[in-house]
This record gives sequence, structure tokens and C-alpha cells, in this order.
Amino acid sequence: MKAVGVGKIIAIHSYKGGTGKTLLTVNLAATYARRGKRVCVLDLDFRAPSLQSVFELNGSEYWLNDYLNGACEINKVLVDYTPQCKCSGQMLVGLANPATEALRDMSSKDRKWEMRALGRLLSLKNTLLNDMELDYLLFDTSPGLQYSSINAIVSADVVLVISTIDASDVEGTRRMTHELYDLFEKKTGILMNKVPIEFLSTPVDRDSVYKRFENTHTLPVLKVIPCFCDVLRAGGTKIFARDEPEHPFTKHLDEIASKVEAF
Amino acid sequence: MGRLDVKNSAILLEKIKESLDRLNEKMEVFIEIQRQGGKPDFVVQDLPEALDVMTLLSLPDHLRKTAVAICKLGHATAEEVSEQTKRARAVESGYLNQLVLMGYLKKERKGRKAFFFVER
Repeated sequence: MKAVGVGKIIAIHSYKGGTGKTLLTVNLAATYARRGKRVCVLDLDFRAPSLQSVFELNGSEYWLNDYLNGACEINKVLVDYTPQCKCSGQMLVGLANPATEALRDMSSKDRKWEMRALGRLLSLKNTLLNDMELDYLLFDTSPGLQYSSINAIVSADVVLVISTIDASDVEGTRRMTHELYDLFEKKTGILMNKVPIEFLSTPVDRDSVYKRFENTHTLPVLKVIPCFCDVLRAGGTKIFARDEPEHPFTKHLDEIASKVEAF
Repeated sequence: MGRLDVKNSAILLEKIKESLDRLNEKMEVFIEIQRQGGKPDFVVQDLPEALDVMTLLSLPDHLRKTAVAICKLGHATAEEVSEQTKRARAVESGYLNQLVLMGYLKKERKGRKAFFFVER
């Protein structure tokens, strides 16, 4: 039996949209599941839910919206994706409701509701990690400072912040990590994504990129991931960690998974 | 001394102990306020709506740490909060009582123990 409290909650967040949060979340989860870990991915991006298209799921009877509304327990929301994952571990998925009516409903919640939602997110540590003995719970969040993403950050043990090299993204990420994450004393790692390959052509170039972003963020840069044309071409629907284990992108994810495991 | 007297004395002592506990908690709040320059670092005006993340962000660092711990624990004593925050129990007791005065937390007694919680 696994010791209580060993599992980790990882929130994947970014300052701007389009940084590759969902793709990295899904592939990181698949990497852990391939290693035999028991993993759960939750779509907490209630403004733009996307996990249903990545996993090609039609939804379930209940959504994460229902769980946060107190209308059901978390086990009613989770879909077992293990058979499609082709992994030795377990992969569960919790979807956000993509219907327009649900998006409108989620954007009109008051502070009291957000406080209760925080309580329900915090209680997942007990239900999913301690009682169900999952190893990792990954939160895919909305970009920027939304209620739902800050709730996810407060509930997480580790936060991975994805940034591109876009100057406004780098500056916004730096401000956000220091003005928000520091206040909650979160373990934070930076992932630089979609970095042009020519920036990383020699070991010296790679080192200087790491140093540059570590100096900017004063946080550990866990990985600088090059921009892969075939990853972009796949349109965010391919799970590389499952379908292309030898792809360099999958190798990068493997290294990220090990670093987060030791974080 | 008769059996009834012994029983009455025990009840009386228990009541004195509870009063002293309450007095002690109030003293801890005053000591904390004193430590921060004689003024509370909050103003009790209208009762706040909720202890949501935006409220957590607006709290001073020392109170935020306590408030986050109680959000995670749900329902806890000062001792349990101090185990999370790695600060002294008396310090946490002071901060928790400040959060009660500010209207963000509720407090209830069960026997000798005082429990703090967020009313959701």
C-alpha cells in the first residue's frame, strides 16, 4: 500500500493563452501512466474546455462543473481512459462542460461560490490522492489570473508555468510568478515552450538560453522545449507520449516528468 | 468533604479552566496586535463576504499562511494549523483568533478544544 500523502497535485498554468498548456498536461500525464503511475487529469479551463477533443471523449454524465457546484462527487465525473492510453498505469480524465450555457454559468459565479469551489478542489487531495491512491493529479488551467486558475494554484503542490519566448509572455510570467505564486509559497518550475530550434543548436547556445530565462524568472527552468513542426501540425490532438515514444518531444517530456518527480 | 462537594468542585474547576483558556486566547490576540505596533493590521467594518482566493491575496503574509492552512485542513485546532505552518501554536492561536475577529473564520468549542473553520 502506498503511504498516505505521497501523491502530488501539479497545476499547469501560463500567463498567456496558446503556450501549449493542454498539450504538455496531456502528454505529461501519459508519460507518467506509461511509467505505471496512476494519474488523473482535470480540465479546469472552464472558459475554454479542451480535453474532450484531445481525448476524443463524448463527455460523461457529470462534468467537473457539477462537482464544483456540489451536485455530485468526483468519482461520477471521472472517465477511465486507461484502455485507450495503452499504458501500464492508470489514466483518469475529468472534463469541463464545453456547452455555451455552461461557459456562461461558470463566468457568473460569485465569491461565495468560488470559496466553496476552492474547498472542493482542496478536498481532492484526500479523495483522489489519499483514498484512491493516485500518484499524480494534473490540473489544466485557464491562462492568466482567473478565479479558477488561482484556485487550482492554491490547491496544487507544484506549479509548472509554461511560457514562450514572446517578450510580453516572458514579462507577464515573471510578474505573475512573483506577485501571485510567491504569496502562496508555491514550488514553481518554468517550462519554456516553442523555442526556435536555432536558439538551441549547440550546447553553449542551450546553456545561455537556460541562464537567460533563469535570470529573468529567478525560478528553475525545468526544460526548454524546441518548437517541433510536426507537434504543431498534429493540431493538439495527438498524444505523442503514447503514439510516438521515440519522438524528441516525448524524450523532453520524459525528462520533465523525472524532474517534477524529484521536485 | 462529601461526594457532592467533590463533584461540584470538579465542575467549578472545569469552568475556571475553560474561562482561563478563553482569557488566554484573548490575551494572545492582544499580544499579537501589540507586536504589530499597537494597531490591528485589519479594520473590522462590514463583515467580509467570503474567504476566497482574492481575499487570501489581500491578507498580510502572516495571516495568509494561517488562512491557507485552515482552508486545506477544513476544521482544525491551533495545534494542527501550527503543524502545517511550522510556527508556534501560540502564534497560530493569535492569528486564528484575528481571522475570527475579521469574520473570515468561525470558531467552536468541543470540550476543552477550540476548532477553527471556514463556513462554506
